[in-house]
Amino acid sequence: MSEQKKILVADDSETIRALLQTALESAGYEVDVAQDGPSAYELGSAGDYDLIVLDQLMPGLLGLDVVARWHEEGMEVPVLMLTGVDDDRTAIESFDQGVVDYVRKPFRIPELLARIRMRV
Amino acid sequence: MFPELLNQSAVILIFSVDAILLMALIALKVIHRRRMTSHEGRRKDYLGLLSRHISFENHTEPITEPIAEDPAFLDALIDMRNAITGDDTTLRRIVNHHGIIQRQMRYLDSSWLLGRRLRAAVALAELGDETSADMLIRHLDDREPEIRIQCARGLGRIRWTPAIDQIVSRFGREIPWVSTRFSDTLVGYGTRATWPLLAYIRINHRFETEGAVLALRTLAQIQDDEAVGPLLAILAETSDLEVQIATVYALGEVGSPQALTALDSLLDSGEWALRAKAAGALGGLGDAAAIPRLVISMRDENWWVRRSAAAAVAMLPGGTDALYRALDDDDPFAADAAAEALTDIGELVSARRRADEGSRTEPLLAHMRSEG
Repeated sequence: MSEQKKILVADDSETIRALLQTALESAGYEVDVAQDGPSAYELGSAGDYDLIVLDQLMPGLLGLDVVARWHEEGMEVPVLMLTGVDDDRTAIESFDQGVVDYVRKPFRIPELLARIRMRV
Repeated sequence: MFPELLNQSAVILIFSVDAILLMALIALKVIHRRRMTSHEGRRKDYLGLLSRHISFENHTEPITEPIAEDPAFLDALIDMRNAITGDDTTLRRIVNHHGIIQRQMRYLDSSWLLGRRLRAAVALAELGDETSADMLIRHLDDREPEIRIQCARGLGRIRWTPAIDQIVSRFGREIPWVSTRFSDTLVGYGTRATWPLLAYIRINHRFETEGAVLALRTLAQIQDDEAVGPLLAILAETSDLEVQIATVYALGEVGSPQALTALDSLLDSGEWALRAKAAGALGGLGDAAAIPRLVISMRDENWWVRRSAAAAVAMLPGGTDALYRALDDDDPFAADAAAEALTDIGELVSARRRADEGSRTEPLLAHMRSEG
């Protein structure tokens, strides 16, 4: 990787954060983490990320609400939604809001990494 | 002088003992908090360790025996298993390599410490496999209710079919808190639990009302069409009101039109609770053929039956129109029930919003005005 790509992982689960941070760093990405909606919004607004892996159900602000705010502010951020919400409506709503990919929990690490590679 | 001195000594002694007890309590709390903080810190470290094993192929960082035996490692393993797909090969390899299942089975079977046994049951429920199934079945009779619950959960998680009968057979003799959780486990088995549940009801409904009712509620959640015939047979056979009500509820939840005639005839039952439940179940079948009979039940002498019948009509295709017609019913109770059902489904809000003289919602507004 000539230039290190930057990814933000926003999830309230400590396990998911630890796992994704390790997996992504091992794959050569630079990784920041956020543990709730407001900090995801702040970090995402301030940082120049190549991809944001965003959980839907986070305290403070839902993932889709964070995406909506960025859109209102004219920010073009590629977002991969990661969610334990197992319903098609959330998936459709995510794509309607311009989310580039959608992965349901629990997930497989190799598959998630492959999806991230496709986008970054 | 002497008794006064004795009194003073006694007071001093009591205060001293109190102070010592208080200090001991504070010390215990501090120790407990430190242990929890240390446990949490180790769990976080282990999450990182497991993440590295999962993320790097052929990662060689050692998982030593003391780590594998640490309860914090067990918690990290469980957290990780829930975060990624359950059949992750790396995690399974770690669990197998360190004999984690066998160790927890040993603890569950022979430890004197309740906390350790409970932790083992939870670990087996989360991480167990076919090798732990027999032990989990054996501990469905454990003296500790929470352990019985965890064992059933573990059997459900690995979808161990031979355990279905074992779990169902305990419905009647378990305490409600446990049997309800057993029921949740069986719902997880889906239609595989249908026939064992039906067999249990057929055999036991005369002797174990509580168990039969819970089995019927479980069937209601599984919603298997195959259950309808046997449920109708149970309904024809039983004279136990609670079993009848639970059967009718299950038929409504399964929602097969096959049950229409039987439920229809129950609207004439002498028991108001059964009439009300039958009315509700007819709404669940989704067949508009039930509307005329339900409209008659909206004139029932019992308020709850009238309300249930009207609510059922509202659920059926064409039901809203039937409720509007019922607003003009000669029986004021039927008209009230219709108005209430229409209000419940939001028709009143929509009528007020439109406030249109010619709209069909005007009769409802008029009815509500006449009611004040």
